[in-house]
Amino acid sequence: MNFRLGTADLAKYPFLNEAAEYMRQTYFNLDDINLPELRHIVERASNRIRSEIVHGKPDYALERHEVEILTFLVGILIIRAINSDNLTKKHCLCEALRAEKFLARDLKAHGEFSNKKLLIFKVFKELLKMDVHPSLKYQLLLEVKVTDYLKRSHLFHEQEWKLSNRLVHDGRVFLDPDETVRLIRSEVANLLLERIRQMNPSHIPATIMEQANILKSILPVAPAKLGNAPSAYPPCVSHALDQMAAGENLPHSARVMLATYMLATGKNIEEIVSLFKNAPDYDERVSRYQVEHLAGERGSHVRYLVPSCTKLLNEGLCFATSQCEGLINPVQFGRAIRFHSRKANVGQG
Amino acid sequence: MILTKTGKDLQLVKIAFREFYFNHGNKIEEPSKMQNREFGLMGFDGVMKRHLKFSNLGGLVASLILENPSDVFTSNAQYDFPALPMSEKGWRGADLIFDIDLKDLGLKCMQSHSYRTCLSCSSSYVSGSPESCPKCGANSFAESMLPCDRCINGLKSEVLKLHRFLTTDIGISPEMISTYFSGNNGFHVHVLDESFNDLSSHARADLAAYIMGVGILADVIGATKDSRNDFRVRFPIGGLDHGWRKRISDRLGISITSQKRLTNLVNEQGGLEQFRRRVVEITREMGVRIDAQVTTDVHRVFRLPGTLNGKSGLTKTLCPDLSSFDPFNESCQLSNREVTVRLTLPKLKLRLKGERFNLTEEFARVPMFIGVYLISKGLAHTVHFDP
Repeated sequence: MNFRLGTADLAKYPFLNEAAEYMRQTYFNLDDINLPELRHIVERASNRIRSEIVHGKPDYALERHEVEILTFLVGILIIRAINSDNLTKKHCLCEALRAEKFLARDLKAHGEFSNKKLLIFKVFKELLKMDVHPSLKYQLLLEVKVTDYLKRSHLFHEQEWKLSNRLVHDGRVFLDPDETVRLIRSEVANLLLERIRQMNPSHIPATIMEQANILKSILPVAPAKLGNAPSAYPPCVSHALDQMAAGENLPHSARVMLATYMLATGKNIEEIVSLFKNAPDYDERVSRYQVEHLAGERGSHVRYLVPSCTKLLNEGLCFATSQCEGLINPVQFGRAIRFHSRKANVGQG
Repeated sequence: MILTKTGKDLQLVKIAFREFYFNHGNKIEEPSKMQNREFGLMGFDGVMKRHLKFSNLGGLVASLILENPSDVFTSNAQYDFPALPMSEKGWRGADLIFDIDLKDLGLKCMQSHSYRTCLSCSSSYVSGSPESCPKCGANSFAESMLPCDRCINGLKSEVLKLHRFLTTDIGISPEMISTYFSGNNGFHVHVLDESFNDLSSHARADLAAYIMGVGILADVIGATKDSRNDFRVRFPIGGLDHGWRKRISDRLGISITSQKRLTNLVNEQGGLEQFRRRVVEITREMGVRIDAQVTTDVHRVFRLPGTLNGKSGLTKTLCPDLSSFDPFNESCQLSNREVTVRLTLPKLKLRLKGERFNLTEEFARVPMFIGVYLISKGLAHTVHFDP
């Protein structure tokens, strides 16, 4: 069966090749963006990015397809003009989150073989080279090949994503619609990232440059380095800090480790919250609440401890070096370093 | 410590190996996409020459006769340029391979046929002997093992367990699985389905953990944490009919029709934490004892099927019918000509090439295949042979 995406679908998934094809068919010219009648599109795209910078959250509003496709296009042009690696990653993640919401909704559409679902399966196949089928055995579940699952699931650190904790049978992994789209979030984000990096527009229209300059002025400054020298951090914490500095989307478990470690080493809430400024989904209010919760200042008023080395190892967050030998918790690292350096000094003396 | 052969022992084993490759080189299995694989030849001095490339089997066999290595390996990976250093090879994918080793099975019989050979005076003892050699007082030993029929049966049942996971859960068709006796103390299971070849090391680690039953949460069968009452039972969508859910629920005697049974079981264990520990115990026990490091390594070299294992003189052999496969017969392909050896143990019973040997004298005249087997295990030394 040959399915074609309708314009309503293009509005939800404007990153698909069909959307680019649609733009080609309209004879759209890059300088048309400067036209006064498209001013609202430029402002819409700019506001969307502003919200991403300030709240770290995507905008889920859905307009008609012409507006959405153009907003997407203008959005990535603004991002390109701002030329900030962290903001580009943040924008791609937000676009992926937006698509994820629509995909999950479409996958939950009634009827096992509704056209809507079949279209989504086509998107999975063509964009991500991944076969997704409705399960004939379990009405509410979808099936993906074990190999397709494994290629993506290892990016998740939470135990529930390990193959061992999945329903696996006859080469297929059974997932609900939310899990299925969650599985591809970072892949969609990476695809967009790749596209933006490969974009080579002949020039940037004036209105785009104007918005880019405005948004540049509200970009957060890079978080100040904490007091400790980087080498004083255990490798698991250093790795998480490096990832965070590179604007990567750290898993929840890594963020808990980072925050509890910083709390244990005496950093204040303000310093710790600022550490997360580079996170693609950074929202100061949410980050503050979570750090305060871990510090025992909210909720159950229980102060959380730094996860043990074993737990971090199981969650794929351990990057142990020889200096970690004998440690059972990352907080012991500083002491171990001091011990080793004292020993080295004695040796030299 | 690794046993390095010297003097007459080395001479004898080298002659036996060269003779084998001269006469049976055609039995070596040509790996798929041979020109894209890295080869490694281990010398009898224990030094491995890696990053070698062979375009055809004839060239490889000629090289084996000429170089006379103790072990021959080929990469599970295919590369654009297999002979270049690792960082420049251009990785194209790697076969998925599992290794089941006797040492990981913890069989009761193992102690009775594991040996230590003193590197100073060459006396051998059954393992579990004192720290230092009772004869000369030295404390450097080489360890070896002569697997028995029970060991082989234990390995076979572990391999069959792995086959069940691969076919029933992972969906690999049986004809896409090749099983080999490693030539010493284990089996290698090669998956021929190329859709697994581009899996990263992390993805393979996740697959290995599934097969080993590592990291399984009690949540998979419906016992989940509850902030009010310690735990609650809510069976998962998809039920308990397949995979680990079925294995665990069958073992615990629970079914989706009775929430009460699972609730009682958790309470009997003393709460969710204790029940989780019980699930971990069960799954570890029911999982397959594979060497996870072998499966996750995408740049590893593996013994080439049809070549000799330097630790035994037996060949790595394909087992088309695992249940009837007898490694002590089918993998023993060295010649029958007689050699004289001196045993380092007072007595020894073993079976090879369909014959039983009961060696009770210090000096024994035995066929070459027995001589090489015992010398490779450090349990005999060459006294005389006709070159």
